Amino acid sequence: MGLIASYNLRSMVVRKGTAAMTSMGIAMVVAVFVMTLAIAQGFRATLVASGSPNNVIVLRKGATSETVSAVMRPQVPLIESLPQIARSSDGRALASPELVVIISLPRQSDNQPANVPLRGVGPKAFEVRDALEMVEGRRFTPGTREINVGRLAVGRFKGLTLGSAVKFGSATWTVAGVFTADDASFESEVWGDVDLMMPAFQRGAYQSITARLVDPSAFDSLVAAVAADPRLDLRPRRELDYYAEQSATMTTVIRAFGTFVTLILSVGAVFGAMNTMYAAVAYRTREIGMLRALGFSRLRIVTAFLAESVALAVVGGGIGCLLALPVHGLSTGTTNMASFSEVAFKFRITPGLMAGGLLFSALMGAVGGLLPAIRASRIPVARALREI
Amino acid sequence: MALIELRDVTKSYKRDQIEIPVLERVSISVPEGDFLGLMGPSGSGKSTLLNLLAGIDRPSRGSIRIGDTEISSLSESVLAGWRARHIGFIFQLYNLIPVLTAFENVELPLLLTSLSKKQRHYHVMTALSIVGIEDRARHYPRQLSGGQEQRVAIARAVVADPTLLLADEPTGDLDAKSAGEVLTLLQRLNREFKKTIVMVTHDPHAAERASRLLHLEKGTLVEQVTVGA
Amino acid sequence: MKFLGLVLKSARRSRRRTFLTVLSVAIAVFLFASLRAVLDGFNAAAEASSSTRIMTLRSTSMIFSMPTSHADAIRTVNGVRDLTWANWFGGIYKDPKNFFAQFAIEPESYLRMYPEIVLAPEARRAFLEDRTGCVVGDGLAKRFGWTVGDRVVLQVGIPTYGSQDFTFTIRGIYRTSGAAIDNQSMFFQWKFADERSLVKGQAGWYVTQIANPDQAAEVALAIDQKFANSPYETKTDTEKAFQSSFVSMFGNLNLLLGSIAVAVVITTLFVAGNTMAMSVRERTTEIAVMRTLGFPAKTMFFLVGGEGILMALLGGAVGAGLARLIVNPDVLHVAGGFIPEFGVNNAHVATGLALSVFIGVVAGVIPATMASRLKIVDALRRVA
Repeated sequence: MGLIASYNLRSMVVRKGTAAMTSMGIAMVVAVFVMTLAIAQGFRATLVASGSPNNVIVLRKGATSETVSAVMRPQVPLIESLPQIARSSDGRALASPELVVIISLPRQSDNQPANVPLRGVGPKAFEVRDALEMVEGRRFTPGTREINVGRLAVGRFKGLTLGSAVKFGSATWTVAGVFTADDASFESEVWGDVDLMMPAFQRGAYQSITARLVDPSAFDSLVAAVAADPRLDLRPRRELDYYAEQSATMTTVIRAFGTFVTLILSVGAVFGAMNTMYAAVAYRTREIGMLRALGFSRLRIVTAFLAESVALAVVGGGIGCLLALPVHGLSTGTTNMASFSEVAFKFRITPGLMAGGLLFSALMGAVGGLLPAIRASRIPVARALREI
Repeated sequence: MALIELRDVTKSYKRDQIEIPVLERVSISVPEGDFLGLMGPSGSGKSTLLNLLAGIDRPSRGSIRIGDTEISSLSESVLAGWRARHIGFIFQLYNLIPVLTAFENVELPLLLTSLSKKQRHYHVMTALSIVGIEDRARHYPRQLSGGQEQRVAIARAVVADPTLLLADEPTGDLDAKSAGEVLTLLQRLNREFKKTIVMVTHDPHAAERASRLLHLEKGTLVEQVTVGA
Repeated sequence: MKFLGLVLKSARRSRRRTFLTVLSVAIAVFLFASLRAVLDGFNAAAEASSSTRIMTLRSTSMIFSMPTSHADAIRTVNGVRDLTWANWFGGIYKDPKNFFAQFAIEPESYLRMYPEIVLAPEARRAFLEDRTGCVVGDGLAKRFGWTVGDRVVLQVGIPTYGSQDFTFTIRGIYRTSGAAIDNQSMFFQWKFADERSLVKGQAGWYVTQIANPDQAAEVALAIDQKFANSPYETKTDTEKAFQSSFVSMFGNLNLLLGSIAVAVVITTLFVAGNTMAMSVRERTTEIAVMRTLGFPAKTMFFLVGGEGILMALLGGAVGAGLARLIVNPDVLHVAGGFIPEFGVNNAHVATGLALSVFIGVVAGVIPATMASRLKIVDALRRVA
């Protein structure tokens, strides 16, 4: 097998122009594949990062998202007093009643009005979501018209830098600090005191309560406790599950689109590989006859050519991954139709995605090389040797 | 005045800094209507000489006059047009275009003229009948034997009524019978149709058919022998 | 013209290779035309906007409403000819996955201001007379198999509409005469939604008809000034601007789809260019023979190049033709929800064909140059 492998390798080098073009065709397909799926991956990662395994989000029963949920004021202390909810060092519950509304701000990139999520939060919000870190300024002071802005939001929308005055809800608010949250969706949000937000937007109820569990395993007993209380028409969900669901539709749509385009594109690249391999077989007919005369079996010939085609394709796949790599970490955004708010996220290329790209390229090489490899093995030995 | 005049023609190739001389100060005169055979061992430069006559290669030094034209100084694009009008080339391996029928192969040189389709048809059929293969006009090269292919190639070479026919080992790839037929055809073209022919060969049977022989060895002429007609 | 015969016969050289090359160009053009169709589909509503309709929204953002009493104030603005309003309902039909747009409209004025909603006169009358009636687009009706007279039950999605389910009767199925309205929506009477609303008398947005399109900016400003410094400040802009901002919500679609289109073209250039180069390489002797026969280098360039363009054009015709047949709303059922209808039209076909010529030219340039630059003697020597 070693002899054949090195023979194939050297043959490839001889026809390097053709081999290179075929590889590049496959490289382009893999690059498109990786880049479009990196969008889906990035979007999903941002939303999933928003969920912590220790936290729960409590919504109205039957509400599919925060924006269509309602949690009444009297229900908040009932939740906070449950034993499954963790407490901070000062003895108060680690729970944050919240309300999300959309405010319209111009986008940096095209100046069009964007749906920016404005989240009114309770005083414990920063502790409940401990991934948050202030990178500029400080946390807003509860009871004042100060707000905090996620770093991705500052970059994506106009007028949110530290110290800016932002007008909404018939009042002016000041940006007191900028925070990061591991690229979670919170970084696209503007935060303020929920008890000031509510009258500002003429709302009478919160939408949700986000709270930290004493222990992740306490979830089931929390669900039971809430169900048992007739005053609570609420339903707790694990944060991770909630955000995974919020991202599901968009992620599916993006993935489907990317896969569809790439699949069609790959047909063209496979044709290119087929062409190249057929030409390679024709070019080396005499050599193949010689190998067969020496005793190499048909199966060995098929395997050798198939391997050559796959190797060529995988090299292309590797180049494609490298071509796609620069987009990793690139900021972009879209509107999550589930919440109707804009989410900034970054292209995200994972090792798994690249492995997928390489596998895909190998598949293209195998499919493109199969028929020519079979043809190579079927060449009648005598005729092959006669070819000059 | 001779039809072809080569004077002090020298040709050398450059391969990786090394100069390889192929022809060394060759001077030849070919009168009109001549059937000249060029012989010599391989590497003697006879094929190169033929290429120079055809205008598909350029001499390093010296002059080549064919008819009224000094071809060694013509540009590539002018040479192409000149070649179309004056040269008929016959290759050892026939070199017919596989996707064209015999008819279409012979028609090729006429596409460079301004003849109408009907006129072209007439000339092609005439050429095919001269070489005796008009019944195979619609066949593809792969459907023809070696001898038949070469005859089609000869028809292609004469169809535009060129000034000069150049043949590079025309019988090199043929069996004795076919070779004989091809040579008879060439003789006929020379005697009956008054075509000037320069033929490169190392086949003594082919050499016999020429009216004059020249020998080349290591790029220079060795002796001039006139063979009886 | 006589050379066309030569070019055509050349393609017969390797039927398989010609077939594969033509098909890879076909795929590229298919994708390209489809991507353009998708992009145009997204922009269709904005393109088809009326120049005499302007929209008024709460300046804070579109999720906030304005009192219907604003209507009187707007009507007094100079240049205003007609007025209507609507609310986004956001209800759920059986499953959130069955998403479609539902609008609570001020019926008489809305239908008057949107002539793009085409209804038979009896249907229109029946709708206006039924408080709980609705009209649905033909695309929506097809999707769920609805007919006139059917009952449609929607669960409340947005809490301000209360908690009771809404039951509507379909009084008409409309078709659209312009892209400003799509055929996947449902319209019902604002009155009905208002009855059950927790806060009464709210409008989501106003649509104003202006007398003169050139006055759009003026009138918009005047309307906003009426409500400046009030608790319900407004932002008014043209219908086109409103629709464009919707498209921009998805992200930079132009860039995304445009980049993919570029990648498609580059891939095909590699594949097609490779095939053409292979084909020339196999023919070096032939090319040398033709040069010997007297074919000038320039002619060889055009013969080989012409072959490339012809193959590419054939592929383009196949790809564009297929796209025209397959990528249209009647065959594909991708639209619905937030994805607007799209279909490949003749303009896209023309662009696709132009692209195939481009591919043929670019991919063929190097092989054609190879053919014309060939050194005759070297090529001939290769055989012996």
